[in-house]
Amino acid sequence: MKHVIEIRNLTKHYGDLIAVNDLSISIKKGEIFAFLGPNGAGKTTTVEICEGIRKPTSGSVHLFGEEFSGKSKSIRERIGVLPQEYRSFERLTVYETLKYYASFYQRNRNIDEIIALMDLNDKRNDLYMNLSGGLKQRVGVAMALVNDPDIVFLDEPTTGLDPRARRGVWKAIQKLKEEGKTIFLTTHYMEEAEHLADRVAIIHNGRIVAEGSTHELISRHGDGYTVKLHGCDTGKMGSFGWDVREVKDNSITLHVLKPGDITGILSKAIKDGKGFESMEVRRANLEEVFLNLTGETLEGGDAH
Amino acid sequence: MRPVAIITDFMANVKMWYRSKGTVFWAIAFPVLLMLLFGAIFQGQDDVTITLYVQDMDNTDTSEMFISSLEERLKIESIPDDVEFDGYISDNNIRAALVIPQGFENTVQSASMGSNDSLYIILSLDPTRESINGMIRGIVGGTLQGWNMDITGGRNVLIYGEESITAREFKFIDFFLPGVIGITVMTSSIYGTIFRNTKYKKWGILRKLSTTPFSRWEYLVSKMLFMTFVSFVSTFVIIIVGVVVWDIRVIINAYLFVIVTSAAFAFSGMGMLISRFVKEEETADSAGGAVTFPQMFLAGTFFPLEMMPAYLGQIARVLPLYYVNEGLRDAMIHGNNTGAMYNTAIIFTIAAVLFVLGALMTTWTE
Repeated sequence: MKHVIEIRNLTKHYGDLIAVNDLSISIKKGEIFAFLGPNGAGKTTTVEICEGIRKPTSGSVHLFGEEFSGKSKSIRERIGVLPQEYRSFERLTVYETLKYYASFYQRNRNIDEIIALMDLNDKRNDLYMNLSGGLKQRVGVAMALVNDPDIVFLDEPTTGLDPRARRGVWKAIQKLKEEGKTIFLTTHYMEEAEHLADRVAIIHNGRIVAEGSTHELISRHGDGYTVKLHGCDTGKMGSFGWDVREVKDNSITLHVLKPGDITGILSKAIKDGKGFESMEVRRANLEEVFLNLTGETLEGGDAH
Repeated sequence: MRPVAIITDFMANVKMWYRSKGTVFWAIAFPVLLMLLFGAIFQGQDDVTITLYVQDMDNTDTSEMFISSLEERLKIESIPDDVEFDGYISDNNIRAALVIPQGFENTVQSASMGSNDSLYIILSLDPTRESINGMIRGIVGGTLQGWNMDITGGRNVLIYGEESITAREFKFIDFFLPGVIGITVMTSSIYGTIFRNTKYKKWGILRKLSTTPFSRWEYLVSKMLFMTFVSFVSTFVIIIVGVVVWDIRVIINAYLFVIVTSAAFAFSGMGMLISRFVKEEETADSAGGAVTFPQMFLAGTFFPLEMMPAYLGQIARVLPLYYVNEGLRDAMIHGNNTGAMYNTAIIFTIAAVLFVLGALMTTWTE
């Protein structure tokens, strides 16, 4: 499949700080590509260079096979962008906002169709200022579609939203995927990347530390299982020599490599640890992958 | 009332205030600027130079002596005796002039020998400059009084009569109106542009626009057109209120439209330049004030330039609002097309320069 985004040896310095460090990625047409990393990892800088908002210190970005530095109008005609922490004009309605942005492009998609796609029919004539956070983000995604773009850049589209609103935005993004749009998504939510992305790149300190599908990343870097015991004597259980990942209130989170190890934990906990109220077992996810690769959690900070 | 809560809130406000460098800077810079400005205007009153144009139709030694006695307290400029007075003051934008009529010397000589002759000297003044007019009246009246004492011991031989430099009868408020329009266009354009740009920058709207085919130039033109629209709305409201409530009489002609449009473009461009350096909405207000207040007081809206020290007068002549005020007065009050055209050309040039600078300095991207 053809690569529509090619980032080659991209580096960006802000004074002494290296925000992006020799980063290279290729994204295929029709793919949802998620850039996963904690705040300050270099996600937004990278995506803003791709959008032409920032200039790289070195390296290049090619969109549709053409080098793009923000100047080419023909490329701008073919991309749609939702910037990070975007707020639109407060006193324009949803319809007026979309119409406003549509007027800048030669190629337009029917506004009513976008409104329906983003499930905003009921809010069509509402002022932007009167919308909830989730609806505002959906308007933001809708705004990025007015020119029927081939590539859609969504920078942290669900940051600050409650779980319900977040799912509404995910649904909207999935519809774009069904339409064959290429989506470059940045997020620091592991579930978001897992739920939406065909391919994920984990970025840490400006570098890509792993790249692949969620399944590949977990298989490669997230071996084992997470076992969480609730309602137990954490002090006692912590002394058993297990691989303890987190101790919180009366819960303890452990990591085991094989399903067989879980049986050992169960019997030890019941026998010497005076039991527990409930147990939760799950396979490793991107959170563990990130932790294994960087030694930090996605929320930032050292895990141990 | 919980003092601890009040103190905590107060301290939090102090911290937030001093951590915003822009706010602190303008909070200090603005009062400093105002004090320096008003100090300079009012402290320099002793050095004020008032110009009076004199047309000497008598051309005698006595009339020259009279002019010399005026020259002790006024700066005298001559109007040639072979030009038509009204046309000359209109073409040269003269705001205070005196005509010494033929027969000045003969009247003085015959009065000193006991005749009852007397002579009217016409003093033409611009009603827009009442504060300056008072000084001129005092100086001319005092000088004539002195001459009358010398000639006859007090009888009024030389009497001055006053007339407006404009052919039509105006009230003072008629002359104030162009200044109000100028200030309104300036403040709405500068503040409007700074607030809008700062807000759009913060909300990510400028970043979003930079990713569309909409160019900075198109954005700037559209914003300036909008500020022009707002300026015209304000201008017509000012005129309508003036006419309906205060029975003001003004001339509305093409210059008014050109000057208001150019002024809106010039001040919006100025706003664009300022907003390049304003990062927070809190700072926008002070930054706008720092640019609009000096212009308001220095550009001759409230105080005629002659009331200020000479150096402030020179500063005023580089301020766009000065030319807006002068142009609007020429166009709307004096009906002085030459003056209106001259000032319009200057405002238009300033608008073009500020438009280009505004576009170049406006950053959407990094």
